[in-house]
Amino acid sequence: MFKELDPILHSQLRLAIMSLLIGVKEAEFTFIKEKTKATAGNLSVQVQKLKDSGYIEVTKQFKDNYPLTTCKITNKGIEAFEAYVKNLQTYLQIQK
Amino acid sequence: MENNKNFSPEESLQLIQSMINTTKNKFSDNSFYFLFWGWLVFLCCIVQFILLKTYNYSYHYIVWLTMPIAGIISVLYGKNQSKKIKVKTFIDSATDYVWMALSIAFVITTFINISTGNWQNAWSSYILLYAIGTFITGLFLKFKPLIWGGCINFLIALISVKLDYHFQLLAGALAILISYIIPGYLLRASYKKQIN
Repeated sequence: MFKELDPILHSQLRLAIMSLLIGVKEAEFTFIKEKTKATAGNLSVQVQKLKDSGYIEVTKQFKDNYPLTTCKITNKGIEAFEAYVKNLQTYLQIQK
Repeated sequence: MENNKNFSPEESLQLIQSMINTTKNKFSDNSFYFLFWGWLVFLCCIVQFILLKTYNYSYHYIVWLTMPIAGIISVLYGKNQSKKIKVKTFIDSATDYVWMALSIAFVITTFINISTGNWQNAWSSYILLYAIGTFITGLFLKFKPLIWGGCINFLIALISVKLDYHFQLLAGALAILISYIIPGYLLRASYKKQIN
């Protein structure tokens, strides 16, 4: 059966953020910005939404007087990502 | 990138794949440690050998007093580097942990050698520790020169047991050349290729 795709993940930028974080231990906001080529404003909003859903952990600290934001995927995020990919696969198989 | 919600599952998979590819096989530049420690230990082995063999100097082991200083430099460099790193992979962390454990092992081995006063097999143990570190790091990074360097070091460790102490110093220098210095330069070149 085809399940509805997780609306939190089925958004290009949020999915890109999660795909970047799934393969690493942690990444800085600037790294994600560079790789997704998103604007800082839009990225901040999407990072916040992922954080509110409990999919990622966001740590804010200061490094040499500059704010530093680090993102890390949570266990809940990994489960959601895996379920999303599984649903995608089911969907693509049905289409064949 | 836009925040579009109307994209197909195919596009979704492509996006996941392209993002995962940007972080796959990514590793931080560790070559500084290999080159810094490699050259320092290599020179110390050679200088100690000359002091011992040519000058018959009683305090030939004095060269190793550079090690604690090098340890401090290494830690300071690591702290400074961690500020510049924007992404940390699991491989980066695992490599750090392996070398942390090996550093402790080096200190303890030295302590054991000092307290027992037995230096005959000291180099065999050190070369064995170099072999473990280089071999594991090579496997983590899928970097053949380090894997081969580690394998050769296992052999050198085995052979060194049969050598006299001063020739063990040369075996140590050879081990360092093969497992630190040469792979260190190759690693640096490969990292530069990765970022370009």
